[in-house]
Amino acid sequence: MSTAVSEIRAAQKPRRQIRRARLIPLWMAIVGALVVAAIGSFPLAAGTDSYVLLLLGKFLCYAIFALSIDLIWGFTGILSLGQAVYFGIGAYFVALSLKINYALDHPTRYGNKFPDFMEWNGLKALPGFMEPLVSTPLAVACALVIPTLLAFLFGVITFKRHIYGVYCAVITLAESLILQEFIIEYQAYTGGFNGITDYSNYVGTPFLWFILAVSVAFFVIARVLTHSRIGTVLKSVRDNDTRAQFMGYNVANYRIFVFCVSAFMSAAAGAMYAAWVGIVSFLDAGPQFSVEGVIWTAVGGRATLVGPFLGAFLVKGLEFLLSGVLAEFWQLIVGALFILVVLFMPDGIVGSIANWIRQRRKGTLAQIREDQDRLAHDRQHDWDPAGAPRSGEERV
Amino acid sequence: MAQAIISQILIGVSVTAILVISAIGLAVIFGVAGVINMAHGQFIMVGAYVAAVVGHHGGNTFLAIPVCFVVVAILGLVVERGVIQWIYDRPLETLLATWGVGIILEVVMKLIFGPELYYVGAPKVLNGSVHLIGRLPYPYYRIFLIAMAILMVAATFYLIFRTDFGLKVRAVRRNRAMSGCLGIDTAKVDMMIFMFGSGLAGIAGAVLAPIKSVSTTMGFRYAVDSYMTIVLGGVGNLWGVPTGGGLIGEAETLLAYKYNSVIGELLVFICIVIAIRVFPRGIFGYHERA
Amino acid sequence: MALLEVKDLTTRVSGYTILKNLDFSIEANELRVLLGPNGAGKTTLISMISGQFKPSSGKIHFAGQDITGWPPDAIFLAGISRKFQVPNMYETLSVYENVMISLQSDRRVFRCMFKSVSPAESDRIWEILEFVELADKANDPADTLAHGERQWLEIGMLIASNPKLLLLDEPTTGMTQEGKQRTAELIRRIARNHTVLLVEHDMHLVRQIAQRVTVLHQGQVLADGMLADVVANETVREVYLGKGKRG
Repeated sequence: MSTAVSEIRAAQKPRRQIRRARLIPLWMAIVGALVVAAIGSFPLAAGTDSYVLLLLGKFLCYAIFALSIDLIWGFTGILSLGQAVYFGIGAYFVALSLKINYALDHPTRYGNKFPDFMEWNGLKALPGFMEPLVSTPLAVACALVIPTLLAFLFGVITFKRHIYGVYCAVITLAESLILQEFIIEYQAYTGGFNGITDYSNYVGTPFLWFILAVSVAFFVIARVLTHSRIGTVLKSVRDNDTRAQFMGYNVANYRIFVFCVSAFMSAAAGAMYAAWVGIVSFLDAGPQFSVEGVIWTAVGGRATLVGPFLGAFLVKGLEFLLSGVLAEFWQLIVGALFILVVLFMPDGIVGSIANWIRQRRKGTLAQIREDQDRLAHDRQHDWDPAGAPRSGEERV
Repeated sequence: MAQAIISQILIGVSVTAILVISAIGLAVIFGVAGVINMAHGQFIMVGAYVAAVVGHHGGNTFLAIPVCFVVVAILGLVVERGVIQWIYDRPLETLLATWGVGIILEVVMKLIFGPELYYVGAPKVLNGSVHLIGRLPYPYYRIFLIAMAILMVAATFYLIFRTDFGLKVRAVRRNRAMSGCLGIDTAKVDMMIFMFGSGLAGIAGAVLAPIKSVSTTMGFRYAVDSYMTIVLGGVGNLWGVPTGGGLIGEAETLLAYKYNSVIGELLVFICIVIAIRVFPRGIFGYHERA
Repeated sequence: MALLEVKDLTTRVSGYTILKNLDFSIEANELRVLLGPNGAGKTTLISMISGQFKPSSGKIHFAGQDITGWPPDAIFLAGISRKFQVPNMYETLSVYENVMISLQSDRRVFRCMFKSVSPAESDRIWEILEFVELADKANDPADTLAHGERQWLEIGMLIASNPKLLLLDEPTTGMTQEGKQRTAELIRRIARNHTVLLVEHDMHLVRQIAQRVTVLHQGQVLADGMLADVVANETVREVYLGKGKRG
């Protein structure tokens, strides 16, 4: 290297500065505050009978569900097509408890003080193992703890053996399907096809504010987690779990941890959903809902935390507006959405916007340098994150 | 008692046959290209509807088999060229994109054929049953299914191990980068194997249509069963599909007989999850040598 | 007592025996080069030592501990860091983050949750970034780096982990001559404070930095000693360089 070049290099001391986003950037705080204010004040403006109010609460629960999926998929690279299992279990615990309590105050036509669907299915009394559910606080505790334990168990069984990628996706899909079939089969205990309905619901301003508060809390928790060192570790596991393992990180433990956090959030979302909407069915625990959650996250933008909220509201909102008019064709749009997002917008809406901003900030010269570097280097991505073997050579 | 168990085992054999028939197309694609087609169930469904159409025009299952193979293979070609070829390097996203394809197929079929169930009859020659072991009737159609399963595996084996194309397929599966360097058009291999796998799904649809009714949602169950068969059996070796199918088929049948079908499924699922701790890539999958 | 001792190591894979009763050892603070034709088992030996695969039989001892069959993260914590043949790093993380996450630290889930980077750690990261000449790209995502820079980033990550033994598997693959020269110089500087086991093909490079070399052939040690002696060894020349050719 010539002396002139090294002189120039020495003169340009690299700025020892790390560009790090703040925990809650200003724009996020402002937008968040506006959204919270808008949603929170809606019932005050429109009254508590509005169908849109029902939707708002519902969508918030969906958004938390999508947030939980973003944590494991966007940040840690685990594609689970069965997160509805945790949502559903959370929902059913709360719904059963509320239904049982409702039945105590509103006996059926035959004077029975237990849920009507049990009566229709020939049960003579409330099953013994369901009696503790009379206590709603206990039911809520179960709704939160049991799915988390289930997730822990699942994580220990699968992640400790480095089963991830496509295999994990397919297994979780099957798990969701089986739970759905279980719910349908044991209709005496779960309401089967009809689900659990007709119990008092809590649609109203206080509960909406509660759901809103929980949403904000979960968002902040997720932000703190992903923004701190463990967030960087999770991202490193997502990007190259082999390298992370060889750098001393017990990848399985990290996956289990984030999977449990995600399940907890899903369960909480399900629990609130059951109380808010007043209807719970097998669909809320099944594969279709699980995959829907993934697509909301994909549309909104994975690994952004804001994306899931946007995606859930956007897709579900569009469904509300268009499915009446379009009927069957709405499903066509949904299917096309899956394909288009994956092919053309893999970073989702928020992600694409972030990319665009980053490009603008860097400027043209940097872009040219980037492009040249990209053309110049020859990259061999040998470690297939899906787990399916590709190049046979490197196995040795 | 022994007779009941034996009859369940025999039923399990035909369940295995159904699993093998559903899964072989998927296994071939996943083994070579590493992608899972989430629309596999819908491909089977399309095959079933085509068989219904064939039946409507006076044909029977035997005629439907080649027709369905061709139709669904073409469908597979469209999907592969349109969607999958761009995302082979992102297998997880292929799951999502093909899920979308599946949704679209369901809607389109419902728009074309309406929501009613269709009934496809088995060919008359296969009606009736043979009497095994005392007074247990074993329908001819079940035997036909077993024969079809063996035939499909054999045909796949022949294609992969006895043809030039199969040689290329095996080379690509072992070492994609090297095969490319040696002049094998790996993109074309992927495309052709996807077509072949889809065609097999079409045959599955044709052959499975007479069992229950044909509806736009019939495919999903078969798809999930196929995934489980592949997860358990592994795709490193063609023996994976019959092995996985056999274990799952027999276990589910016997457990369903003892308890009920949902408990049977649950127990089999739990057993599969535990089994893949020992065989993370399936029994016949590529193994991490640790 | 040697830092690393491999005793009677045998590895069978799909019916092939890749390593055959291999005996091998490295002293502390050595810079050892591992040579051998393709298929000799060099990468396999590295894989065994770093815990990627379990050997079929034999033992590996490191710093007095028996690490045979340990999982990779445990072996890392014992003090062995491995560089892969193909540069392996965290693509979407920035260069700085790549090094930061590799710093020696408590790796347990609940310990590292909210740990921030201390000033001492920050200095160390910048020190390493300057050592591998990536300081001005600290904020760039790792996937925007050129190939040679990626190799160096991975080396930087390994240094950050403060290992007792560094396993470098063909770190100059895909580099230009100049890149190889600079990498050789880098390795020489690293070897002053670490024990390094280097797998390399480029004899030109090997001549520049090697002290002691071990030649593998068909899963066994063919020759072991100072570079000059090994190169003069008839069997080595036959096997590795071809009869009658000059090395």
